[in-house]
Amino acid sequence: MGGVPKTAMNLVAFPLQKLGGEVLREVLSGGIDKLKESGTVLLGGHSIEDDEFKYGLSITGFVHPKRILANKGLKSGDCLILTKPLGTGIINTAVKGGLASQSTIDLAVRVMSTLNKYAAKIMDNFDISACTDVTGFGLLGHLAEMISGSDIGAVLDSSLVPILPETVEFASMGFVPSGAHGNRKFRQCLVELKSSVTPIMRDILFDPQTSGGLLMGCPENQSQHLIKMLIDEGVEDAAIIGRVCERNYNKDIKGMIVVE
Amino acid sequence: MSKLFDARGLSCPAPVLMVKKALDDSSHQEISIVVDNEASMENVSRFLASRSFEVEVVPKKGEFEITGKANILAGTTESAGESGKTTKYSASAPSSTSSGSQPSSLSNNDLSAKETQQKIMVFAATDRVGFGDDELGKKLMVSFIKTIKEMGDDLWMLVFVNNGVKLTIEGSLVLEDLLQYEADGIKIMVCGTCLTHFNLLDAKKVGETTNMLDIVSSMQFADKVIKI
Repeated sequence: MGGVPKTAMNLVAFPLQKLGGEVLREVLSGGIDKLKESGTVLLGGHSIEDDEFKYGLSITGFVHPKRILANKGLKSGDCLILTKPLGTGIINTAVKGGLASQSTIDLAVRVMSTLNKYAAKIMDNFDISACTDVTGFGLLGHLAEMISGSDIGAVLDSSLVPILPETVEFASMGFVPSGAHGNRKFRQCLVELKSSVTPIMRDILFDPQTSGGLLMGCPENQSQHLIKMLIDEGVEDAAIIGRVCERNYNKDIKGMIVVE
Repeated sequence: MSKLFDARGLSCPAPVLMVKKALDDSSHQEISIVVDNEASMENVSRFLASRSFEVEVVPKKGEFEITGKANILAGTTESAGESGKTTKYSASAPSSTSSGSQPSSLSNNDLSAKETQQKIMVFAATDRVGFGDDELGKKLMVSFIKTIKEMGDDLWMLVFVNNGVKLTIEGSLVLEDLLQYEADGIKIMVCGTCLTHFNLLDAKKVGETTNMLDIVSSMQFADKVIKI
């Protein structure tokens, strides 16, 4: 984190017979819209015919060597800040089942297609200790990556985590993607769930996200100001969701996440 | 006789959709489904539980046979005929105590309660009632807040935005009443943007700080919204 994207290459695997050229054209044009928004130039790309549709971008950018923000380096006492609501994996699963309402779909699409550059720009003015983006490993998976093997731990307040509407309903009905299950199996050894955390909430915290928000550590005395700036600039779901510390109720939690 | 569905080789959400289709097509007293991974086992169990089925899971060499029986009777005991390998599954409803950022979870409440009880949201965008004399308006607001408890169990949520957030801070004439409402389980949501705007984030003494998304989705779940 901390860099600025400059150039991009399209990567496409597409079932031309099945979906037709128009779908491909729309996807690529949507991608170009976002590249323009981010100030990135499309150089070219690679494409192949395939049974299952895949699309992605390979991006190159610049970062000042002294301003690289790694996903390691959280400091004890930091507030943990998340900039987008969770639930896109569960909602996308419910969309496959034809259950999601149009308003929820619209909202999820808006959240997924919002670039993190606006949050990143604001973050630049603060003493952020570490940062990552929440994607396929889910919130807890990415947080686990930030603290595993380190001498700090994290306490997450699940009631503060922003969540998209209908996510809880869909998770209660069993529309949890298998990725959430895989994420949990891999990382649950580092996570201690308090009894107030329901299995539904646990699955939401492990839900793989598409184009999720930024997760960062910010000194406590700057965090309210950071949240205010984020919300004022339109990153309206940004929230303090927990804190970084070495101990919780006098128990050593180094390298662990406690979820309350 | 229970109908057996084979969802082996399928991954989420396909097994859930298979069961959903079966239940949508015709009513089943008992339904069984075989899956071959844990994620599908959990999801199918949860789905059946959400449709008021009593769910039993029998693991068999990496596969799971899930049986759902309609008409849940609360507190039924483990059937004696099964061996110790059987596990009962009931999807735990999301707790409403920790549902600060997910008001939608309240829609999962017990169905019978839902039928007899409506969910009324009071949306207060001001600290005084009406226009005219502000002093009178403030008195009326105090009276209003104290009187809405007469709505009884129908009163579900109080939302404070704009000047309304000033009712939730230190020194508010209705702070005691609001704290009592909160203790009685009525959800109190206070607009974070507004608190920040008035620089009152630390002065707020009751309710959860919330955002517009929470407020809007709660409005959608409310049966009635009263704006004051």
